[in-house]
Amino acid sequence: MRFTRSRTGLALAAGLIMLASACSSAGSTDSNSSANGQSSPSATGGAGASGTGAPGSGTSDSGAGPSLGSPTPVTLTFWGTYGNGGNTAQTDVLNKQLIPAFEKSHPGITVKYVDIPYDDMSQKLTTGAAGGELPDVIRSDIGWVAKFAQLGVFAQLDGALPDWDTLSKAVYPGTLAADEWNGHYYGLPLDTNTRVLITSQKALDKAGMNAPPKTFDDLKAMAGKLKGSGTALFADSGLQGWNILPWIWSGGGDITNADHTKASGILDSDTNVATIQMLVDWYSQGLIPNLITGNSGATSTSDGMPGGKYATIFDGPWMRDIWSAQYPDFTPIYAPIPAGPGGSISVVGGESIVMTSATQHKDAAMQFISWTQSEQFQLAMAKVGQMTVVQALGDKEVAEDSFYQTFADQLKTAKARLSIPQSSQVDTILSDELTPAFKGDKSVKDALAAAAAKIDPLLTDGT
Amino acid sequence: MPVIDLPGGAPAIAGAPPRSPSRRERRSRHRSPLAPYAFLAPGFLLFLALIIYPTVRAFQMSLYDWKIVANASSRFLGLDNYVRAFHDPHFWTSLSNSGVYMLFTVPPQIVLGLVVASLLNAKAPARPLFRVLFYLPVVTSWVVVSLLFTYLFSDDGLVNYALSDVLHLTGHVSWLSDRWTAMVAICALGVWKGIGWSMMIFLAALQGVPKDLVEAATADGAGRWGRFRAVTLPAIWPAALVVTVMLVIGGFNVFTSVLLMTDGGPGGQTDVLLTYMYRLAFSNLDFGYGSAIAVLLTAGVFVLSVVQLRVFREPGGALTK
Repeated sequence: MRFTRSRTGLALAAGLIMLASACSSAGSTDSNSSANGQSSPSATGGAGASGTGAPGSGTSDSGAGPSLGSPTPVTLTFWGTYGNGGNTAQTDVLNKQLIPAFEKSHPGITVKYVDIPYDDMSQKLTTGAAGGELPDVIRSDIGWVAKFAQLGVFAQLDGALPDWDTLSKAVYPGTLAADEWNGHYYGLPLDTNTRVLITSQKALDKAGMNAPPKTFDDLKAMAGKLKGSGTALFADSGLQGWNILPWIWSGGGDITNADHTKASGILDSDTNVATIQMLVDWYSQGLIPNLITGNSGATSTSDGMPGGKYATIFDGPWMRDIWSAQYPDFTPIYAPIPAGPGGSISVVGGESIVMTSATQHKDAAMQFISWTQSEQFQLAMAKVGQMTVVQALGDKEVAEDSFYQTFADQLKTAKARLSIPQSSQVDTILSDELTPAFKGDKSVKDALAAAAAKIDPLLTDGT
Repeated sequence: MPVIDLPGGAPAIAGAPPRSPSRRERRSRHRSPLAPYAFLAPGFLLFLALIIYPTVRAFQMSLYDWKIVANASSRFLGLDNYVRAFHDPHFWTSLSNSGVYMLFTVPPQIVLGLVVASLLNAKAPARPLFRVLFYLPVVTSWVVVSLLFTYLFSDDGLVNYALSDVLHLTGHVSWLSDRWTAMVAICALGVWKGIGWSMMIFLAALQGVPKDLVEAATADGAGRWGRFRAVTLPAIWPAALVVTVMLVIGGFNVFTSVLLMTDGGPGGQTDVLLTYMYRLAFSNLDFGYGSAIAVLLTAGVFVLSVVQLRVFREPGGALTK
C-alpha cells in the first residue's frame, strides 16, 4: 500500500516536471514578447532623448556614453556572421581590437559579440523574432533588411540616429538603397562588395584578346573565338537577381520602375529581351554552361575559372582568398563588368548594421552603430576583407591594398537589388521563369512577361 | 490452397507474452486507480506538448496571413491558403515530385530489403559483417551521403564515368540539370540509404517464421517460391505492413537530400513538398501558406496510412485468398 502510493506520487511528480519543462520555453517566450511589445513603440521616441549627442560627427569620439545620460552599465548583444567558414581573421579584429576600442571610448557600454554561421542567420532571426529573443544590434545581409523592417523587427534609423544625415550621405548610394523600405531606412551599410568581371591571361590568349572584354560587343567577339574551343565564354551559378541584374542594368534595362511599383512593361522591355537573348544564345551554343540553369553537378565557377573551363565569370573580392588557398598558381585578372548600352553597372552585396526594435538599450546601440562608420572600424575591417562603405575611405582602402581598386570603382555605379520584403520571392520568380527560356522551352519575351506578371502583385504588397 | 493461420504474427512486432498478474499486483491496481494514469501522464503530456500542440498550432497558422513576430496581429484568411495551394502550380509540381519519390523508392526498398534480409538470414560466413555493411548507410548522416551522391552524379562524376566511359551505355548526362534525371539521382540515394532499414525489420521478422511450418511445407512438396508464398510471406506480413506504412510516410517527408542535391533546381522543378514548404516559411516568411501545405501533407499522409492499414490488414491479404 505504502509502496503503491509513493509510486503514484513519483509518477505524478515526473509528469509534472516534464510538463513544466515542455512548457517552460513557451512561457518564457510569452513573457519576453510582452516585454518587447512594451518597448517597441517607435524608434523615434528614443531618438528625441538621445539626440543631444554630437550632431554631425560620425567618429568614435561622438556622443560618448555618459553624455547621453546612461549611468548604469549597459551590455549590448551583437549578432554577426564575421566568422563564417571558420575565418577567424575578422572575428579576431572585432573582438580583440575594435570592440575593446569602442568600450574604451564609450565607458559604461560593453559589447558582447555572438558569431552565427551565415547560413543559419536568417533562420535564427526568424525564430528569434517569433520567440521575442533578439539581440540589440545585428549585422544583417542587405537582402534581409526590408523583410525584417516590414515585420517590425528592425528599427527605423532615419530620424532616430542622431547623426543619420551625415552618416547616410557618406556611404555609397547603392549600399544605402538596400536599407530603404517604404520611404525610411532600417539599417546603415556596414561593409560592402560587388561583382566584377574575372578572367585569366590563358583565357584571353585563347580568345586572341590582349585585354579583358570591356563591352558587350567585346564579349560577342570573344564568343565567336571561343565557340567549339571547350572553354565557355561565361559561367555563373544561377539566374537570381544577384546573377542577372548586372546584365540587365548594363544592358540599359531594369526590373521595376523607379518607385518599385510595377515590373510589367519594364522587366519585359525590348531592351531586357535583347540582353537576355544574348545570354540565351550563348547558352544554346554551349558558351554558357548549364551551371547557370541550376545544374548542381556542373563545375563550379571557382574551379572552372582556374581550370580553364570558363573564360569569364562575375564574382566578388572573396575569390582572392579562395583561390590563393586552393589554386596558388592561378593569377586572376579583375576588370569592370562589360559595358552595354546602360554602362557598366554591377550589383551591390554586403551587410548592414541594424538595431532591433526590441532593444532595451537604444542609446547605446545607436552609439555603437555610429561608431561602426568610423575610419578606425571601416579600415580595420577592410584590411581583413570587408570593403568599406564610406566613399571617402575608398581611396585609403585602395592605397593600402590595390586589389580593391576595381571593386571600389565598380561600387561607384553599382546598384542595390530590389529592396522590398519579398525580394527572395523575386529571386525565385526570376530563376524559375528564366530557366525554361535558357533551356529553349519558352521565348525570352514570354519568360520575362511571366516573371513581371508574378512580380507585380509583390510590389503592391510590399509597401 | 490452404490458408495458414499464424498465431500472434511476427515476434518482432508482437509484444511480450501475456503474464497473469500476481495477487499483490491485482490488489494494488484495485486500490490505486490513479497509478496507470500517472505512469501514462509523462508520455501523454509530452505527446500533447510536442505533437498535438504544434499540429493544432500549425493548423491555426494555416488559417492566417501569419506574422511570425511575437504578439504581432495576423490577418485571418479562413481557407484562403488552402485555396491558394490548389491554384498554385508549384504546389502540384512539388506534390508530384514527392509522389514520384515515394513511388520509386518504397517498392525497391521493400523488395531489395527483403531480398537482402533473406540472403542474410541464411547461414553464411561473415554474416554479421554484411548486416553491418548494409545497415551502415542508414546511420550515416543525410548531409554526408547527399553531398556524396551529388559528387557521384555530377557531370564529371563516377556515374557518368561508369555509364559513359567504361560501359558506353550513355553519353555524358547532366544528371542534376533536368527534373527527371535529377529525380533519378535523388531516388537512387533514397533507395540506397533505406535498404538497410527495411532489411533490419525483415531480418527480425524472418527469425520468427515457424520452422516446423517450413519443414511441413517442404515435406508437402512445396518449392522455394511455394514456401515463401505460403509460409514466409504470411509470417512476415505484419512487418511488411509496418515497413510499407513507414516508408510511404518517409517518402513524403523527403527533404534533406533534395535540399542539398538540387535545392529544388533547376527552376524549382525538383522541389518536393517539404523543400517548398521550408522556402515559403523560412525564406519568404509566408508561414501561413507554409503551414497550410504542412497540414495538407499531414492529412494526405494520414489518409494514405489508413488506406494501407485497411487494404493490408488481413495477414496474407489477397495473396492467400
